[in-house]
Amino acid sequence: MRPSLLSRFTSFLFITPYLAAFCLFLLFPILYGIFISLHNFELLSTEHDFVGLRNYIDIFTPGTYTNSLFFRGLWATIQFVLFSVPLLIVTGLGLALLVNALPRKLRSLFRTVFFVPYALSASVMAVIWLMMFDTNAGFLNGLLAKLSLTGVPWLTDVPWAWVSLIVTTLWWTIGFNMIIFVNALNEVPDDYYEAASIDGAGAWHKFAHITLPSIRPVMLFVMITSTIASFNIYAQPFLLTRGGPGDTTKVLLMNVLDQAFIRKELGSASAMAILMALLIIIISIVQFKLTTGRKENAS
Amino acid sequence: MKTTKSWLLLLLAAAIAVLFLLPLVWMVSTSFKNDFEALAGGIQLFPKKPTVENYVMGLQGELMNVPITKWIANSLSVGAAGTVIVLLIDSMAAYGLARLPDMPLRRTMLSLFIASLMIPGVLTFLPMYMEFNALGLINTYPALILPATAGAFGVFLLYQFFASFPKEIEEAARIDGANKWQIYARVLLPSAVSILVTLGIFTFMGIYNDFVWPLYATTSPEMRTITAGIAIMATGSYTQSYGKLMAMTLIATLPVVLVFIGGQRYFVKAITQSAVK
Repeated sequence: MRPSLLSRFTSFLFITPYLAAFCLFLLFPILYGIFISLHNFELLSTEHDFVGLRNYIDIFTPGTYTNSLFFRGLWATIQFVLFSVPLLIVTGLGLALLVNALPRKLRSLFRTVFFVPYALSASVMAVIWLMMFDTNAGFLNGLLAKLSLTGVPWLTDVPWAWVSLIVTTLWWTIGFNMIIFVNALNEVPDDYYEAASIDGAGAWHKFAHITLPSIRPVMLFVMITSTIASFNIYAQPFLLTRGGPGDTTKVLLMNVLDQAFIRKELGSASAMAILMALLIIIISIVQFKLTTGRKENAS
Repeated sequence: MKTTKSWLLLLLAAAIAVLFLLPLVWMVSTSFKNDFEALAGGIQLFPKKPTVENYVMGLQGELMNVPITKWIANSLSVGAAGTVIVLLIDSMAAYGLARLPDMPLRRTMLSLFIASLMIPGVLTFLPMYMEFNALGLINTYPALILPATAGAFGVFLLYQFFASFPKEIEEAARIDGANKWQIYARVLLPSAVSILVTLGIFTFMGIYNDFVWPLYATTSPEMRTITAGIAIMATGSYTQSYGKLMAMTLIATLPVVLVFIGGQRYFVKAITQSAVK
C-alpha cells in the first residue's frame, strides 16, 4: 500500500527544521563561499567584480602576495601537523596503556585527570600556557632559575616556539585520544591474550600481534581526527606565539583570517579557505583509503 | 616482582598526573596573587599574601573595565539556547530518517548529511560571516547560536540509536493508536536519554568553548562571550595583570569543567561508538 500524501508530508515535517538549519548555515555558506572566491570581493565595498579563477591563479603564481601568504602559511601548518600528529597518536596510546595497567579503582581518577584539559576552551588553554611560558614571570623559567639554569625564550625563538605549541596541544587534546584508545583496548577479547600466554608470548609480542591489529580501525580514526584538528590549528599560535618569531609559526588559518579581516580581501581569502578545506578533505580520504586498503590485504 | 612493577607504573602515572595538573594549579595559585607577586616570577605555589581582590574587582568590572559577568551570562545563554535547539531538531530529524520510510528524499538527505561530517569549518567561516552581516545579525545572539545548529553529528548519533531501536515497541504503540508525534515524544525520546545527554554536553561545550567565531561575530564589548573576551584580554595589555587574567579564566572554566566531569560517564562510551562505526 502506498503511503498517503498526508503521511509523507507529516514525515517530512520531522526533517524540516534541521534541513532548514543545514541549508542556511552549511550548504548555502559553502556555495556562497565559492561565489565570493570568484570575485574581487572587498569587505567594505558594495561592488564586487567577477574575476573568474583569478584569485586561485594568483595563489599558484610565484611572486604574488597571496602565493607567499598561502604557501608560507601552509608550510607552517604542515610542520605543525608533522610534529604533532605522531606524538598525539603515540602518547595517546601510551597513556591509555598506562591507565589500563593501573589498579581498577584508580583508573577513572587518572582518566579524568588526563582528560580534563580537553574541556577547556582554546582561548582559556592558551592563556593558562601564556603564563606558564612567560619569559620573566612564567612558571617554567621560574623553575629553571631555581635549578640555576638560564631561562628559555619559549614563545619568541625557534625551535622553542614549536616546542611550546606542541606541548600545549598535547596537554589540551591528548585526553580525547586516550579515551578512545582506552575503550578500544577494553574491547579486545581477553581470550586472545590468554591463548597467547599459553603459547608463551611475551608482553611485546602480545602488543605487536594482538593489541595493535585489534585496534587498527580506532587507530585510523585517531589518525584522521588528529590530522584534521592539527591542520585547523589557530588558537595556539594566535594567542601564544602570535605567529612568531617572524612568521615562522604563522599558520595557514591565521593568514586566511588576516587576509579577510585585516586586509579585507575576502575574495582571495575565500579562495585560500576553499583550497585549505579541499586539502583537508583529500588528506582524510587518502588516509582512509590507505588504511582500509591495507586491512583488506592483511585479512 | 609483580607488585614492584605495578608500584612503578602507579608512580609514573602519578608523575604524569602532576604534570597535567600543574598548569591548572598554577592558574588557581596565580589568581590569588596580587599583581606584584604574579609578575615577580619564581615558583611560589602558595601566595605569600593571598588576596581575593582579583575576583572582587573582576566580577565588579572595576579596573579591568570589562563586563565579565555579562560575558559569562552571554556564554551560558547562547550555550543553553543552542543546546536546546540542537537536541530538538536533531532528534526530530533522526527519528524521521530512521523510522519514517515514507519520508520523501530520505536516502538522499541521509547521504548528504553524513557526507557533510567531512566538511571542515574553514570552508563555511568567511561566507557565514558575510551571510550574517548581510542579514544584519552580526553582534546579536542569533549569530552566536544558529551556526551551531547545522552540524550533522547529532543527527548521525541519534540516527544510529533510533535505527537499532526494537520495532516491536514502536508497533505496540501504533496499535494503541499513537501517531508519529506521540511515538517520537513518548517512546523514542525517553529511550534515548543518555544519548541526548551526551549530545547536549558536546553541544553546550562546543558553543561555550568556541572563541574564533564569537571573536568575529560580535563587535561590542557587552555582546562578547567569555572565551572571546578572554582572547581579547590576552592579546591586549592584560598580560601585565596575570592575577586578574587567571581569576577570570578560572571563573570561565568552572561551568564547563563541572558539566564535563559530571557528564563523563555518559559520553565516554559514546565517543568510542562514534569512532568505531
